[in-house]
Amino acid sequence: MPGRHAVIGSSFFAALVALGLVERALERSAAAEVRVMAPRFEVDPFWPKPLPNHWVLGQVIGATVDDQDHVWIVHRDNLLGANEAASSQNPPTASCCVKAPPVLEFDPSGALVGHWGGPAEGYDWPSSNHGITVDYKGNVWIGANEGSDAHVLKFTKAGKFLMQIGKPGQSKGSNDTENFGRAAKIFVDPKTNEAFIADGYGNRRVVVIDADTGKFKRYWGAYGHKPDDTSLGTYDPNAPPAQQFRTPVHCAELSNDALLYVCDRPNDRIQVFKPDGTFVKEAFIAKTTLGDGSVWDIAFSKDPQQKYLFLADGKNEKVYIMARDRLEILTSFGDGGRQPGQFFAVHSIAIDSKGNLYTTETYEGRRLQKFVYKGIGPVPREQGTVWPAR
Amino acid sequence: MKRALLVAVMLGSAAVESAQQVPSFQVDPFWPQPLPNHWLLGSVTGVAVDANDHVWVVHRGYDSMTARTEIGAATTPKTADECCVPAPPVLEFDPGGKLVGHWGGPGDKYDWPVSPGGITIDPKGAVWIAAAGPPEIPGAGNVPTPTRSRTATTPSSTSSTSSPLPRPQDAHVLKFSRAGDFQLQIGKAGSPVGDDSTTGLNKPANVEIDPASDELYVADGFGNHRVVVFDATSGAYRRHWGSATQFKTVSCVRVARDGKVYVCDRGNNRIQVFDKTGKYLAQAAISETTKATGSVWDIALSRDPQQRFLYVADGHDQQVFIVRRDTLEIVGSFGDGGRIPGRFYSVGSVAVDSKGNVYTGETLEGKRVQKFIRR
Repeated sequence: MPGRHAVIGSSFFAALVALGLVERALERSAAAEVRVMAPRFEVDPFWPKPLPNHWVLGQVIGATVDDQDHVWIVHRDNLLGANEAASSQNPPTASCCVKAPPVLEFDPSGALVGHWGGPAEGYDWPSSNHGITVDYKGNVWIGANEGSDAHVLKFTKAGKFLMQIGKPGQSKGSNDTENFGRAAKIFVDPKTNEAFIADGYGNRRVVVIDADTGKFKRYWGAYGHKPDDTSLGTYDPNAPPAQQFRTPVHCAELSNDALLYVCDRPNDRIQVFKPDGTFVKEAFIAKTTLGDGSVWDIAFSKDPQQKYLFLADGKNEKVYIMARDRLEILTSFGDGGRQPGQFFAVHSIAIDSKGNLYTTETYEGRRLQKFVYKGIGPVPREQGTVWPAR
Repeated sequence: MKRALLVAVMLGSAAVESAQQVPSFQVDPFWPQPLPNHWLLGSVTGVAVDANDHVWVVHRGYDSMTARTEIGAATTPKTADECCVPAPPVLEFDPGGKLVGHWGGPGDKYDWPVSPGGITIDPKGAVWIAAAGPPEIPGAGNVPTPTRSRTATTPSSTSSTSSPLPRPQDAHVLKFSRAGDFQLQIGKAGSPVGDDSTTGLNKPANVEIDPASDELYVADGFGNHRVVVFDATSGAYRRHWGSATQFKTVSCVRVARDGKVYVCDRGNNRIQVFDKTGKYLAQAAISETTKATGSVWDIALSRDPQQRFLYVADGHDQQVFIVRRDTLEIVGSFGDGGRIPGRFYSVGSVAVDSKGNVYTGETLEGKRVQKFIRR
């Protein structure tokens, strides 16, 4: 009796479909309600305070916090156009605006308390600034990421030049032991006085140098391989993981328990190493992300164990909060946009002693933002724009 | 936390005696509410407030976005997972800042602008949009043109946020219902006409309705150098005035309740005042030393019965001037350059709600709508 079978079959099928829909709906509502315990943040829309002198920021390309909880940024004043920096033109075309000096220091209240930087005798100011770090001795390190840039610079907090490592135009690639290849960021290990350099936009390696003498000590590529500058072609999320870093190698941050976390940005992955370059593990983040990639910059939480890792993703416009031990994404905050708590190309991330986060935006984002730490609590998996309750 | 930032600044001693009467404002950093769907605002070219204090925004959407870095979820292939996507070009916010309506883009019966300009809502609820052409501002840097963004990527075919190109040059204004149904087009896209035309326009910058006469005033504009008036119901030509020797860039026109007509002569750094027939009455310089684009980008009238103040958006000096309407004297200003709340990049639009709150729109890479609460 084909007719009867057909009826049973179709009602059975209908029941299956209905069941499936119900299950999917349950999953959806469960997903919406899922809460995880994680650090919570709220944007402070009035931090920092307005800059004086009609100063405006270009692409804000580095952020760091010193031991006084002063927040330092470096930005690309040179890329501010004639329309926006109208008062910096000769003659000025408007009463606003002026290019702010490239290095800016803010106190915890958000007031600008220091500013310096730019070309001068004795060193090669970068053709493009990139990355800023105040080390444990209070010295300021700046990377350089464009064109012929092949060096990093070290200054006092007051902006007095101390050291240049590498010479513009002299890069001989990822196995050069005197120059960098458009270095992105610097971390200085207080225990060993070694500086770890994410190198970079031209090269495909991490370099370790003596932070006082600048002497090269060692370097390595992805998985601890000897770096190889052969082009990897375009990133393909479905291909086997690349055996080399894909430029730019964008950060290298050492944890208290001596693990080095490297941003392999367009490969959409974090690679973890021992300080000697021994590969430990890796984690892929938003693996289908193309172009600029997902892994832009890393900061660790301020508890002694550094339980959490904060990862800026300037392509998907969010900050991931990860369990550092498992490299697992617990939650994220942020979304695209120009309003407080939203991002356009969130590029750099730093944390102060109280656990507050600071982010900077490149391209046309051009902001420094503060996210106030609100303690550990239940949060959804995707928090979106984190505004205070009104 | 202090949520309000005092942004009003009194200028000079002239303001002292009337200081109490000069409006002051504080920015609301949490208005509007975040857009849904990972939508982004492009360059905002127009802001208007309707009779219910809903705030209407028109922006350049896809055509003002940098495909590689800004809208990775709207390109083919996608380069980002979910963020970001250009919002539809016309957006309606309720007084709480919640998005309650959105529409716009190409249709069969009309020519969607290459780039919108100003927007206004008439007393009957119709929405008027100028087709102003893309901004031509030297030194603005990273301002994608439709051609450039088109070659950089192909938008998804189902996206309502992109528009097919090439589109004919903007030379028209459009009228829609508040739900986005097309009602009327004045001027023919691709057929720009000169300052003496009675049939068309040339990159009109902005629109204004005079409810007393049911007339549409067009600031015409970026291509022409005149104000032209049409019947707002039939679209029939009524009159015009102005020429290339009189105006440099006619970027706005506003009609006061007492019949005075205020014209933004942006490139000449001045406001000119006329009666409704075009008879010249007065003028005032605003930021006389401003070069390049000029200072007077848009004007809004205060909502008190006498409309005692003009708010003048200066998208090159990055501030809003408060001008006494009777004397045309600057009595205050707020804003400065920057991307944080209360600061501006290319503030080119300004509007006022019934409570006296001011809304601003930023074009080029400003790409924001901001609310300034009347104190």
